[in-house]
Amino acid sequence: MTVQIEFDSSWQDEFLHRIENDGPWGNWELFKLAVGVEKNLIIPEFEGLQAPKHLPNLTPLPHQLETAKQVIENMNGKAILADEVGLGKTIEAGLILKEYMIRGLVKKVLILVPASLVTQWSYELNSKFFIPAVSQRKSYVWEQCDVVVSSIDTAKRDPHRDIIYKQDYDLIIIDEAHKLKNNKTKNYEFVQNLKKKFCLLLTATPIQNRIEEIFNLVSLLKPGHLGSETTFFDKYKRDARSLNDNEHLKELVNKVMIRNRRADTGIEWTKRQVETIAIEFTPEERKLYDAITDLKSEGDWVQTSAFSVMTLQREACSSRESVFYTLKNMLQKKENPTKVYEDQIQSLITKVEAVQTNSKAEKTLELIQKINDKVIIFTEYRATQMYLQWYLKQHGISSVPFRGGFKRGKKDWMRELFQKHAQVLIATEAGGEGINLQFCNHIINFDLPWNPMKLEQRIGRIHRLGQEKDVMIYNFAIKNTVEEHILKLLYEKIELFEKVIGDLDDILTKLDFGNIEDHLIDIFGQSCSEGEMRIKMENLTSMIDLAKDMQKEDSHAAAGNS
Amino acid sequence: MQQLEIHNFLIRYFQANECAITENGPGYLTVQLSIELDKELMNRPFYWHYLEKTGGIANPMKLTFITNTQIAPEKIKGETIHFGSPRLHQIFQTTKKLASYIRLYENHLNGNQQTPLMPWLCMNVKISYQCDRKRDIYKSIGLQLINGQMVEDFDELLQNVQLTPKIPDYSFTLSPLVKPKSGLSRIENYLKAIIEGDDHSWAEDARKRWEQDLKLLDHFYEDIEEENESYETEKKALRDQYEPKINISFINGGLFYLTDQAV
Repeated sequence: MTVQIEFDSSWQDEFLHRIENDGPWGNWELFKLAVGVEKNLIIPEFEGLQAPKHLPNLTPLPHQLETAKQVIENMNGKAILADEVGLGKTIEAGLILKEYMIRGLVKKVLILVPASLVTQWSYELNSKFFIPAVSQRKSYVWEQCDVVVSSIDTAKRDPHRDIIYKQDYDLIIIDEAHKLKNNKTKNYEFVQNLKKKFCLLLTATPIQNRIEEIFNLVSLLKPGHLGSETTFFDKYKRDARSLNDNEHLKELVNKVMIRNRRADTGIEWTKRQVETIAIEFTPEERKLYDAITDLKSEGDWVQTSAFSVMTLQREACSSRESVFYTLKNMLQKKENPTKVYEDQIQSLITKVEAVQTNSKAEKTLELIQKINDKVIIFTEYRATQMYLQWYLKQHGISSVPFRGGFKRGKKDWMRELFQKHAQVLIATEAGGEGINLQFCNHIINFDLPWNPMKLEQRIGRIHRLGQEKDVMIYNFAIKNTVEEHILKLLYEKIELFEKVIGDLDDILTKLDFGNIEDHLIDIFGQSCSEGEMRIKMENLTSMIDLAKDMQKEDSHAAAGNS
Repeated sequence: MQQLEIHNFLIRYFQANECAITENGPGYLTVQLSIELDKELMNRPFYWHYLEKTGGIANPMKLTFITNTQIAPEKIKGETIHFGSPRLHQIFQTTKKLASYIRLYENHLNGNQQTPLMPWLCMNVKISYQCDRKRDIYKSIGLQLINGQMVEDFDELLQNVQLTPKIPDYSFTLSPLVKPKSGLSRIENYLKAIIEGDDHSWAEDARKRWEQDLKLLDHFYEDIEEENESYETEKKALRDQYEPKINISFINGGLFYLTDQAV
């Protein structure tokens, strides 16, 4: 057995130099202390975790410690961490990073996360793990700091990109790695070309992906683990939906992926309490809504854009401002609008102007006053967001807006403002991801997204580790509208609100029919009659039921095996 | 290290560096830094530079460390120190830096009898076995520079010897027959011999893991004909990840002049 032995000779040279010059010589007490220190820092075993000894203020949960151990001892430091939302993937990554740093195996680290999480990652690594992580703000940081946190969008751009490729990183951590599922994107290419000695990919939702996406993610981490592209797709159908169909493939993937589920962790989670609040339109609001619905059976322009009618209907359930904004856009963007078209829009605008109140906003105000605590309001529309902020201010309630498009610093600032000064945070859809707000336990869904995963992400912002109270979720739905249908069918049927995300992942995977949102648009947009709509809805419902049953059987089987 | 060990370590460290411990209470201690240690620990070169230029009066800092938050009085404000805290590791670093090289004489009790002292070369080292994992071994070796006798656990042997930085009266040192430089290489060879005799299945296993991943990698890129940059990068990454290496690094060492009875 030949292993190269490196002998550090710098000490010798200096030593001989000092003998020649008769000193200077060190202090005996310090000499002994130095030996004592080194004996304390020596790690005599390959196995085991040292990190917990260094982190007295952190009490990692058993599944987090187990994950860290697995990654280092059995996965050789390359893994996809795919715990369900809120189980503390950041803690797991921090533990692994700390362990490698203590053992001296890792020095230079690159951490790529969504822009909105950059500050939070640096803060947590510094405060919880005593790791001097630095948020990248100046280009010299890449070279001068050992542990750098940045957004992938910044990192892939010049001049950063070239500087990063010149660094010799020991560990690369990528948060929200499911965004790298497409191997044709610039981000994917950027990460693929990074040298990955040790590498952690963090994601909450890999299972629902197509097989192709799994292949891309695993190949990023460990090229060849699933074979080359040609052999892989010879063997597995490119469009195959579920990993579960193939035991062998599942096993292979599990060699590089760890997925802890809430149910397995044995932690007591705070409850979710869901309240649906049905709201009546005022007569003016009803008139506007009905006028929009009538468009479906009318005029030529509508047929070509069922989607617009749907959007308008949903907006009418949110605020007159959002309807107006869309109408204005439709008018401006249409080339050579016909007279009929213009008239139709104009008549709708008149109806918008007739609406003087917002029933949902009034209900919101009442609810916020009753709760008398911090509240997050989610809406899909920016116009509604702006209106609500104005409306609440009229009634002496302070609020801050939050949008996905905000720059990183602004997001941090808004979160801070909300935590310390404002009672209400009003977020649009894009704001749902990448911000942790567990100091708040009330959510108002002012309008509902049609993609259940989006809804889960909203709730996931506050229902996570660190949340000490039960989470209250208030769903607003206007009676006798498309909104009420959605709520009844989708959410009450899947019992989505009570469920935790892992179940939903599974259900959606089993539903082998693509995007739920597309189905809903088809049902509500293309149906010619009430009857057709009902039948289509029943079909969808029974498919969801089927998926749920399949999932139940699966978990029985799993329980039987273990 | 337990909290109490840390507390005692800090006291010994500051005393050895001639800093006054102004308070030493339950779970905390306050220390007046010396100028040297302020420069070493406080990271304020501009302040010291400014003082040197203006000739002002030096005002080194006073620090309070809380070594046990449970028993320290509540009104005490200071830095909390635990085994993982960066400050403690900074202090560890300076300990090693300030005492890398040493020369001491045995303070024997032979009175006015002429006493010969034998030269010993001492090296305390850390041996690390490293692949994608790592383990360390501590070794303290002493080499007598006249007859070439080699002793392990030399540091423990020194624990029982009275030592002093000045040669005691009525003592004389014997000139080494083995030059320090060749002494160092004797110890190096000795350590290498020990290492070679050790079990290195860890390295074999690492090479197996490496080979396996390399095979997968080759397979992944076999469809791609032309020179591929990311293939080369990945290959290098695997080398960095798995290649077994052994590092011998120095902690400290020096010359010890000891009586015949000492060893």
